[in-house]
Amino acid sequence: MGTDKSSELLPGTLDLLVLKTLARGRMHGYGIAQHLKNISEDVLQVGESSLYPALQRLLLNGYVEAEWGTSENNRRARYYTLTADGRKQLSAERKEFDRMVLAIQKVLA
Amino acid sequence: MKLLRRLRYWLRARQNQADLAEEMEFHREMLGDARAMGNATLAHEDARAVWIGPWIESVMQDLRYALRSLRNQPGFALIAILALGCAIGLNTSLFTVFNAIAIRPWPVHDPSRMVNVFALDDHHRPSGFSLAEVRYLASHSRTFSGMLAQRGRETVHVENGKGACSWVTGSYFGVLGVGMQQGRGFLPEEDNPDSPLAVAVVSDLFWQTRLGSDPRAVGRQIRIEDVPFTIVGVTGANFTGTTPDPIDIYVPMSAGQILQPHAACMKEFLLSPNQCCSNLAGRLQPGISRKQGEAELAVLHEQFQTQLREEAHGIRLTGTEFIATGKKDKIYPIFALMGVGVLLVLLLACANVGNLLLARAAARRREISVRVSLGASRSRLVRQLLTESLMIAIAAGALGVVSAFFLPTAVFRYALNDVLSFRFTPDTTVLAYALVLSAATCVLFGLAPALNSTKPTASGARSKLRSTLLSAQVALSVILMVAASLLARGIQNARAQDPGFRIAGVSVATFELPASSYDAVRTRAFFTQLTQELKDQPLGLSRQAPLGSGSNWTSFRRTGETEKQRKMVLIQEVSTGYFGVLNIPVRAGRNFEAADADQKTILVNETFANRYFNTSSETLGKTIVTDAPHQIVGVVKDAYTRGLDEIAPTVYVQISANSVPLALFPTSPSETGKLEATLKRLEPRARLRVSPLSDNLEKWLQSSRAGASIAAVLGGFALVLAVIGMFGVFAFWVEQRTPEIGVRMALGARPIQVIRLVLSASSRAVLIGLVIGFGGAVAASRLLVSFLFGVSPLDPLAYTETALFLAAAGFVATYVPARRATKIDPMTALRCE
Repeated sequence: MGTDKSSELLPGTLDLLVLKTLARGRMHGYGIAQHLKNISEDVLQVGESSLYPALQRLLLNGYVEAEWGTSENNRRARYYTLTADGRKQLSAERKEFDRMVLAIQKVLA
Repeated sequence: MKLLRRLRYWLRARQNQADLAEEMEFHREMLGDARAMGNATLAHEDARAVWIGPWIESVMQDLRYALRSLRNQPGFALIAILALGCAIGLNTSLFTVFNAIAIRPWPVHDPSRMVNVFALDDHHRPSGFSLAEVRYLASHSRTFSGMLAQRGRETVHVENGKGACSWVTGSYFGVLGVGMQQGRGFLPEEDNPDSPLAVAVVSDLFWQTRLGSDPRAVGRQIRIEDVPFTIVGVTGANFTGTTPDPIDIYVPMSAGQILQPHAACMKEFLLSPNQCCSNLAGRLQPGISRKQGEAELAVLHEQFQTQLREEAHGIRLTGTEFIATGKKDKIYPIFALMGVGVLLVLLLACANVGNLLLARAAARRREISVRVSLGASRSRLVRQLLTESLMIAIAAGALGVVSAFFLPTAVFRYALNDVLSFRFTPDTTVLAYALVLSAATCVLFGLAPALNSTKPTASGARSKLRSTLLSAQVALSVILMVAASLLARGIQNARAQDPGFRIAGVSVATFELPASSYDAVRTRAFFTQLTQELKDQPLGLSRQAPLGSGSNWTSFRRTGETEKQRKMVLIQEVSTGYFGVLNIPVRAGRNFEAADADQKTILVNETFANRYFNTSSETLGKTIVTDAPHQIVGVVKDAYTRGLDEIAPTVYVQISANSVPLALFPTSPSETGKLEATLKRLEPRARLRVSPLSDNLEKWLQSSRAGASIAAVLGGFALVLAVIGMFGVFAFWVEQRTPEIGVRMALGARPIQVIRLVLSASSRAVLIGLVIGFGGAVAASRLLVSFLFGVSPLDPLAYTETALFLAAAGFVATYVPARRATKIDPMTALRCE
């Protein structure tokens, strides 16, 4: 079903991906999932059982804010926006991730 | 920050969860394929769980676990909660009483701004004011928004019974802000000395019990001392008055002229600046501190006294709590003593429950070690065990608070036979106290066992803690029981003690004359005639009944001494027949004679003679100066007429019956009949009430008897706790050593040897406890001296009694476990291993 794909991500990576997605502008949950799916050419299929806990976690940490708005097809949808803290967190996590990938590559090389 | 966001989330939990559900629904619809979503409920739960702090979850877990484990051992939980609940109940009840009389201010509007005002006399003792000065202060003060004065409480005849009447200024109800359930309080103009009005305000209780809750009480007339008064108001139910004793009727100060039209001193009391003493209280302006009010009043007081050519010694403001008004010295020691008593009980209960917990923890060692091997940290386990203790403490605290609602009132009503105007209902202060107490107890009885039983090894240390707790229990119960036993012996002693005067077979007669038609001169004439008519009968007049309430003190100096050397002495007004009726012999000199009526000659008691003039014979003929010089013409034997605890140096002057005295005479129907007949003949409206003098003794003993019974309850409670504690320890020891005992029995040990083994195990701890306990009791008993009526604090009987009781208790506590030990079947015991 593809919903388990996220668990195969490195721990914490989903948060990073969501933050990065939101850095392009405000977006609702479905949009985030779609964006990840499209941009990764269907590799990253994030299901709601990992996406919504992740979003709640980001809310709890104050990295994103949520507000109700209207979707492209005129439906009520909940939009998430990156906060200043979130931006900081994004760059920090980004650096950490790069460092990790580099390390893994060294091991595999 | 995170905590804040979490809090905000839970404050709007329903909205937030609805939001989440809606956005997931939206997600699903956009996908257009419900199956692709997986388990939606689970996803929702997971998302919501983010907001639950990890600690909340584990606390809930702890609570659930604690509940389950307490439910598994209901016997233990019950004993622990009962023991601690009783102990906390005793403490909370005592605090409730303390709160009511020492912390809680008057039950009036905005009590924080109300203060009692005292003038200090030349010895810096607080005293009251003349009404003239009250008016002066009230009209000149800028720091007070209003002032009121009250003159004590007196028993009056009202309608067809008695009532407690208090005289108050017209400002009384207005300044206090008392809510009225009917009518109104007094108006200032209703208290005008030039045009007194016969108006009255009655209390809620009086209205209910004596006026039958008359819905139209206002405007109704009641007769006070046979004078009709009009009721203008009924106080609200929650106003319990500003005196410790309840008041039934309030009348304006000026109405005193209507109540006692012939009393010459009345006009003086109302108007003269030299008259003393009304109690003054005031309401401070908003934003004015007590210091500022005190400073201003001190200046005004000085101005007023200077006009009188008197010296002012300053002003003191106190809060309106009962104890703040000058009874600290008498009441605080009693509270301190009882406080120590109930605290000891609480400690004892803690030690007891602590020990039970230890035994339980030892039985749960397997469970604990499993949890440790599964990776539970020690702190987590300690928290777990403390949660169990906390639940016990909270249940016990609740029990304690509930008992505090009933116990104080019950004790005062049934043990002390006293109704006070204080409301002994727990308020937030009491609840806070109970909460703190419960938390403290939880730590006290729970922490050490929790730490101890989670220690990785060392069972030796564990039994050390257990012995320490056992010793503590024994010691504490010894102290409490010795104290209880001493107090009980004190009461016995007081009863048996020779009071120095006759109590049995003496009657006390109180008279009531219609005050409205008897002024001082007529009263005196009346009693002169009465005694004249009855001069062949043994009859003694006195101002106060022996062992009754109230006493008059005066200061005196010997001739040749300066004013600074004045000493306080008890003064009693009595008639010639007084000493005969009470069988108090004159040891030297002579009794009063008719010629002594001018009060220039006095009698003294032996204590006075010995303290101030060495011997009785030296005393005769000497002169002392009170307000005027008096010559001592006789010395009488010491008698405990004021109280059985001590004899004060006493001066007797011959009574001047300017106001109604009471009479003492040998009990017999004919004497009573003669007195009544004579009285009725002289004044048909007079009333007579006769009671045996022994009633006074009973009444006097009542407070100390109540004290002794409270101590007995504490002592008995201590004994029960000690039995439970010892039983627990021995039973547990037997259970733990079952295999060992089994082996010994298999090898041929006789039952008696097994019993000895059981006893020897904890006897050291018990012995240490006894030694500490008796040592502590010897020290503590010194605090009790003033309540013991001559019984030595080292009274051997009290200590023997305690030892016997404890021995019996120890026997009961060890017998069952020891017997069980001898019944152990070796084979079962071995299989257990």
